[in-house]
Amino acid sequence: MTNDRYDVIVIGGGPAGLAAAVSAHDNDARVLLIEREARLGGILKQCIHDGFGLLRFGEKLSGPEYAERYIDMFRARDIPALTLTFVTKIVKTEQGFEVHAVNRQGISVHYAHALVLATGCRERTAKQVFIHGTRPSGVFTAGTAQHFVNLLGEMPAKKCVILGSGDIGLIMARRLTLEGARVLGVYEAKPTPSGLTRNLQQCLYDYDIPLHLSHTVTRVFGVDRLEGVEISEVDENMKPIPGTQTRLDCDALILSVGLIPENELAESLGVEIDPKTKGPYCDGQCMTGVPGVFSCGNALHVNDLVDYVSENAAAAGKAAALYTPAPQKYVPLHADGSFLYIVPQRLDLNRDNTKVAVYFRSGGDFNKTRLSVTADGREVFAKKYAFLRPPEMEKLELDFGAFGLTEESDIRFALQLQAEKEREA
Amino acid sequence: MRMDMSKCNRKLNKQFGGRVRASFENDCIVLRGELERWPDVISACRTAARKYSRIHVVNDIVCPEAQDAPMRRPSFTDHTLEGAAPDVLVIGGGISGASIARELTKWKLNVLLVEKESDLALQASGRNDGEVHPGIDLGKGSLKHKYIRTANRMFDTVCKDLNVEFHRVGQYVLFGDVWLKPLIRLYCLWRKYHDGIEDTVLISGAQLKRKEPLLDPEAKFAILNPSAGVVCPYGLTIAYAENAVQNGAKVSLGTAVLGMEVENGTIRAVHTNRGTLYPKVVINAAGVFAEEIAKMADDRFYSIHPRRGTNSILDKKAGVYMHSIASVIDLRAQLRAHTKGGGTMRTAHGNLLAGPDAVETWQKENTETHPESIRVVFDKQKKTLPRLSERDIITYFTGVRAPTFEEDFIIERGRRTKNLIHCAGIQSPGLTTAPAVAIDVAQTAADMLSEKMTVEKNPAFDPVRKGIPALREMDEAQRAELIKENPDYGVIVCRCEEVSKGEILDALRSPICVPTVDGVKKRVRPGMGRCQGGFCSPLVTQIIADYLGVPLSEVRKSGEGSVITFGKTKTPEGGGEA
Repeated sequence: MTNDRYDVIVIGGGPAGLAAAVSAHDNDARVLLIEREARLGGILKQCIHDGFGLLRFGEKLSGPEYAERYIDMFRARDIPALTLTFVTKIVKTEQGFEVHAVNRQGISVHYAHALVLATGCRERTAKQVFIHGTRPSGVFTAGTAQHFVNLLGEMPAKKCVILGSGDIGLIMARRLTLEGARVLGVYEAKPTPSGLTRNLQQCLYDYDIPLHLSHTVTRVFGVDRLEGVEISEVDENMKPIPGTQTRLDCDALILSVGLIPENELAESLGVEIDPKTKGPYCDGQCMTGVPGVFSCGNALHVNDLVDYVSENAAAAGKAAALYTPAPQKYVPLHADGSFLYIVPQRLDLNRDNTKVAVYFRSGGDFNKTRLSVTADGREVFAKKYAFLRPPEMEKLELDFGAFGLTEESDIRFALQLQAEKEREA
Repeated sequence: MRMDMSKCNRKLNKQFGGRVRASFENDCIVLRGELERWPDVISACRTAARKYSRIHVVNDIVCPEAQDAPMRRPSFTDHTLEGAAPDVLVIGGGISGASIARELTKWKLNVLLVEKESDLALQASGRNDGEVHPGIDLGKGSLKHKYIRTANRMFDTVCKDLNVEFHRVGQYVLFGDVWLKPLIRLYCLWRKYHDGIEDTVLISGAQLKRKEPLLDPEAKFAILNPSAGVVCPYGLTIAYAENAVQNGAKVSLGTAVLGMEVENGTIRAVHTNRGTLYPKVVINAAGVFAEEIAKMADDRFYSIHPRRGTNSILDKKAGVYMHSIASVIDLRAQLRAHTKGGGTMRTAHGNLLAGPDAVETWQKENTETHPESIRVVFDKQKKTLPRLSERDIITYFTGVRAPTFEEDFIIERGRRTKNLIHCAGIQSPGLTTAPAVAIDVAQTAADMLSEKMTVEKNPAFDPVRKGIPALREMDEAQRAELIKENPDYGVIVCRCEEVSKGEILDALRSPICVPTVDGVKKRVRPGMGRCQGGFCSPLVTQIIADYLGVPLSEVRKSGEGSVITFGKTKTPEGGGEA
């Protein structure tokens, strides 16, 4: 067993982990990054399509190119990284954290003052959306299919159906089409698409792939390899309507039915999880409810663009580097029912809240909306949006320091449809 | 022996207006006629059957609705087994066949086990809840009862020898009505003194709460059966078969019995897709197909009516809600149903499990799942464990039980065919009884063979199977030691279940190599976790391909044709242009 002491240990070497490590290093912390895969870059390694980096670098990069930029920054700083190394457990101690890891060399224990959890997210599976029937091969989550096609150069489908209009599903529809597979259609249980508008255009419409809203896959057929799927229409509660089933023959079903932040390590430390984001409750510094544990990227909440992941992770890395224990003085940020969620969910008034990034998604498709932030009934911030859609994450930067907040402050985020606002006036 | 069928036929006439008739032939109750619907067939056969009777109902009722698909069998034929003349041929690689094969290797015998599927325990033995039953619900006079107590006690030794995870966690049966307590106390006493189920105790609601604080808060008292336990059912089956192979038995997967030649009450030859065999003794452990095998052997004296059940596996995060096996009992439902009605439990691997239900079906191999099964089980079991939630489900699966209409096992020599032993009608608690049943069946086979040849004990028999180390369960020093010997143990492939590349390679090098994604998954668990192989399945597929030295597109999930990919991109096989 070997021992090492660090200011910050970053767990996860994807875009979030890399940005966090670089930022922590630049804020004079001694950093160690631990990555379970052989190579850094996380899921970006398999995202060979472009569109990454528009916000961050002002150009359209492919996933591997975007990752490379951060890997270069990371390497230029000589930050130590353990790859093909898996964290088995983390123990909280008086001084900080004891990170136990396993790799080909054996077991190692590393000590850190603060942790950044950049563990990414995983995909929801067929059984989590209650698909029934047989258990053949040929049912893949979109990310798994992408791994086969883009990393292994293998075709997982010849004639396939895609369930879910999440971004990876849309991207895989195009990718498989380009590789010669037939994509019979994309089926989405919701009445509105789940992916970014640009992906709907560039991945489906440009290739004449039909999108069927309010439809889902209820059953799969085939004992060995998938032979077909049953499609059902769903009602407004997304429940299949009996009698609407039709069978579609295909050899693969690709699922893009949602992402779940990976927080098993966080939970083992006692970090409390927000049921809305499925990531930790955090404050303006990305610190979770467990002092010294920071969360960022898709582990904190599922982002739409990697650019936001890098930005948010850099903030977390910096905060971890600057972390000194202090009692928390929390004030919650309330979001009304028109939001899907907001992050952070609270502020720690003992920290610097002059420049806090707030990420949110709306709870529905809204046109001409006014976002209003009030503190104790007094509006402290407002912004107009031409449209808001749940798939498109929004970001604000707020100077909460200017609002004169106390622990008793009642901070509320609300979305008002302009039409309503005008009526009120 | 004669049996008067007139009373039975009066009942059948009343129910089905003369469309079905029972007659007593060859010591069996044979039902003939025609019924439109399968539930009526079941009902007619139940009318004629007596529970636990040795006189069985043979179902020859024609039912147009019940047209089952032909038995799934390997598509290939070869001659690898042609002319083989094992002393004992075991048909079926479920828990019964595997445990019998292992017990047979205690003698110096040539043992061959054939299984038509691509792996062991692919049907009922791999598709149940893994409970080691205490026998509280079994009455004297049945074979189930005869074996349950002995077998239950054997589990500690058997699982230690075979290196299989087993936890004697106890089973709670919860009651909400306090007025039932005196009755249940009497029931337990009856079971104790009449049926010898000695360990059962009654505990109060308060005691229950101390032991399992999250179970039904309205439970007033509970039966506690401390002898109940949980085991990995396919793990135990595989372990038995591997130990059999270590001790000299041969296991041939992908081998289906297609016919037999029977002369003068003796099986002379057994036809398979891999050649004709000439066994001295045949053991029928064919599960739902036991009746078909009996028929081939000219010894059909019972009928199997398939009954499916679906279990749900929940996230290990929900596994902490309880430590044992529990169910709330609705006495009225209990009297009607042919199952303990399912329950909730923490499996041997630490997941929460809910189920199973019980649905009669004519389809012996249809293991499709249906939303109703999940609904029925969850509606009921949320009473047992209020925290139970569909949201925690990570997977569900269906198994098909193989009961007779007498709802008891058939463990005996052939009635007309001399060199045959039936181990049929095996349903719950067949997993529990297997260790004891196997000893009996193996002894019977040895006795049969002794009539014709000298049967000696196998002095080299080693009961111990060295399993594959599960590194996630070891302490760090042990783990580090193993990684030093084999660095692949330090490469984690499956993050959810923390499975290393070394363990996966061990599974591929195990005595019965099943180089499929499911085969590896059953042996060392990659893909069993909450992401269901989302992250690790490409890696596992690649490891298998590398190990076999074949292209990735030849690696299968499970059976023939269950390929995972179709070939390289940019090639005609992969669907693209060359």
